[in-house]
Amino acid sequence: MSAQTARVLVVDDEPINRRLLARYLEREGHEVATADDGAAGWEKLRAEPFDVVLLDVLMPEMDGYEVLELLRADPARRHLPVIMISSLEDTDSIVRCIELGADDYLPKPFRPVLLRARINAGIARKRLHDLELEYLEQVGHVVDAAAAVEQGRFDERSLDAVAERDDALGNLARIFQHMACEIAAREDALKQQVHELRIEIDEAKAAKQVAEITETDYFRDLLHKADALRQR
Amino acid sequence: MSRVVAFHSFRGGTGKSNTTANVAVQAARRNLRVGIVDTDIQSPGIHVLLGIDQSQIERSLNDYLWGRCEIADAAHDVTAGLHAELPGRVFLVPSSIDATDIARVMHDGYDVSLLHEGINALVGDLSLDLLLLDTHPGLNEETLLSIAVSDAVAIVLRPDQQDYEGTHVTVSVARKLKVPEMMLVVNKTPLVFDHDQVRRRVADAYGCDVAAVLPHSDDLMAFSSRGVFVLHRPDHPLAAMYDDLAGRIIG
Repeated sequence: MSAQTARVLVVDDEPINRRLLARYLEREGHEVATADDGAAGWEKLRAEPFDVVLLDVLMPEMDGYEVLELLRADPARRHLPVIMISSLEDTDSIVRCIELGADDYLPKPFRPVLLRARINAGIARKRLHDLELEYLEQVGHVVDAAAAVEQGRFDERSLDAVAERDDALGNLARIFQHMACEIAAREDALKQQVHELRIEIDEAKAAKQVAEITETDYFRDLLHKADALRQR
Repeated sequence: MSRVVAFHSFRGGTGKSNTTANVAVQAARRNLRVGIVDTDIQSPGIHVLLGIDQSQIERSLNDYLWGRCEIADAAHDVTAGLHAELPGRVFLVPSSIDATDIARVMHDGYDVSLLHEGINALVGDLSLDLLLLDTHPGLNEETLLSIAVSDAVAIVLRPDQQDYEGTHVTVSVARKLKVPEMMLVVNKTPLVFDHDQVRRRVADAYGCDVAAVLPHSDDLMAFSSRGVFVLHRPDHPLAAMYDDLAGRIIG
């Protein structure tokens, strides 16, 4: 899905409005789902992921205010951009929607130019939020990787996705991966060395070095005196 | 009953001076009067760890060897400067760090029997329980003498091939010198090594007691030469190991 096309949910109790909005949005290249009242809209929102919601204010059973409140109280959907639609143009309604956390407001009958601009702004907000979430998630991967290195259970591939980023975080992940692998390789080599730890002494070479020291007049003299020195 | 122990290593960089200083402080913690003589006349260094700088060195081992003073006059009581509550005392006889003095001693040499007399005098004058000799790496004449006059020699080595060969030479020479007691201190042992296995293999290879297998420590490296590590981090696991080693050195 391109940056400008999105999954949009239209919640409106008026069949004509639903069809009108859906047709217009589909022409713009968006994927559209519809719901004919607040309760059905909330069901859909919980069942599927959306990028933007167009939400009618006045509906029987569950109205737009209620759906908006439910959305803003739900940690997983709190950031979903919501554009309220209503024929009402009274300031009180607009104020209440904004206070409840609506992102935008679109008066009925809708004007295509205004709808397009607001839908696009909503999509941009959603994309930015998604990027932020992804960034935080990937920072989390790097933090987890650091803990894994410390506990000796680091899996190099656990950072592959982060390392593909072309920003500073990606660079950090690549350098981290590289360094962790280097250290692991060095430790493996050392463990191998320990396994084979042997003390190999070239006896002939050592004997020659010992002789160079002990077969001197100084040494013979010292040796001669050593016992006497210790007795004193 | 006093005891003279020479700390030696065949190559430089084994951590010999650091080990000597840490053992001295741990021994002073046990209420002992401990002396250290920096017999590494060519490249003195242990004074730095013990908080002494050039301006504080009025008399040194060089002055004694050149007949300018008694050896006890060259001893510096460094206990107070260590900024720690030590029930015992630590004295240092430093070597001169003056380049002219070092050049002179290298060029002219000195009467090595004086060193032995000095050691005996120092133990008596300062009522020392333990005297540690920090020797120059390798086996030059002063070092051989230091080993010959000691009750025990502690050979510090790192667990690597070059040190293994050099240590073999030192052990052989010390045996010929009939040093009463000899022990090995394996230092800077990588953490991935099985330290018990290192201890067994080193003991087997030299037929010699391994007094300690000390791990490589980033904390110690980072602290470097700023002082005596066991004073800076008394609760560090290494401090307990130096204390064990001090127990072995005291005998």
